[in-house]
Amino acid sequence: MLVLALLTERESYGYELVTRLHEGGLDDLSAGTLYPVLNRLERDGQISSRLVASSAGPARKYYLPTETGAQQLWSTARAWEQLAATVESMLARATTKESS
Amino acid sequence: MSTSLRDTLVRERYLLRFSWAMQDFPKYKSIVRELRTELTATAGEVGMRQAVADLGHPHALAHGYLSGLGRPVPRWTTGAVWGALMVGAVVYLGAAYAIGTLDTLGQLGGGTVEREFLGATTTFTNDDDAISVSSTITWQVLVFYACVFTVPFLLGARVWRVWARTPEPVHA
Repeated sequence: MLVLALLTERESYGYELVTRLHEGGLDDLSAGTLYPVLNRLERDGQISSRLVASSAGPARKYYLPTETGAQQLWSTARAWEQLAATVESMLARATTKESS
Repeated sequence: MSTSLRDTLVRERYLLRFSWAMQDFPKYKSIVRELRTELTATAGEVGMRQAVADLGHPHALAHGYLSGLGRPVPRWTTGAVWGALMVGAVVYLGAAYAIGTLDTLGQLGGGTVEREFLGATTTFTNDDDAISVSSTITWQVLVFYACVFTVPFLLGARVWRVWARTPEPVHA
């Protein structure tokens, strides 16, 4: 979901995405975790890629969400919000009971 | 920017181990090619050692790709290696038996001895004129060697994974 969200902001290549996720607070995430995710998303047609010439070496693969990926992001984000709201309300009830 | 020999060795060593672990992923060679390109480009930013280190253990990386398939895949290459090793072991034992038999015949003053295995007769000769081993062949022997290869091949390949079902996709 986060990969799709970041790619919706702007297209990125693999290692740049890792850096952006680190900057977002996911310090423990490694490139080795991200590359299989990118591969799966591309296989499922949720992202597309294009080769862009790089000054640091060979051409890099830049990714962008497809229409399917955008829809998937939307539905996953809704599901996440519902889950977060449910968890928040249950935790709030539990912590209120504990403090009273 | 060209890659130094040392960096190339680091990269290719990693990719070799990764390729072995990915052997049964569909079209894994294109993934290895992409990863080589990505590593080379990333090395231009952070250095090859760091780029490789960021990928983690090659088997863990391969596991990430394989688990993305949502089903276990057979490992045909591993099966072939198991089968070849087993056939090699049987051939080695046969050769050791033959050499031992010929040696014993020589120690006993020479002669000829015949042994039968699955209908095939093997003749061991060691005398002043010749040292030889000859054998007939039967369909039972052919079946035996086929089994010696096939059983470890199928077990090593985890052939039952062919029938593993693909679960419904779960999007988290």
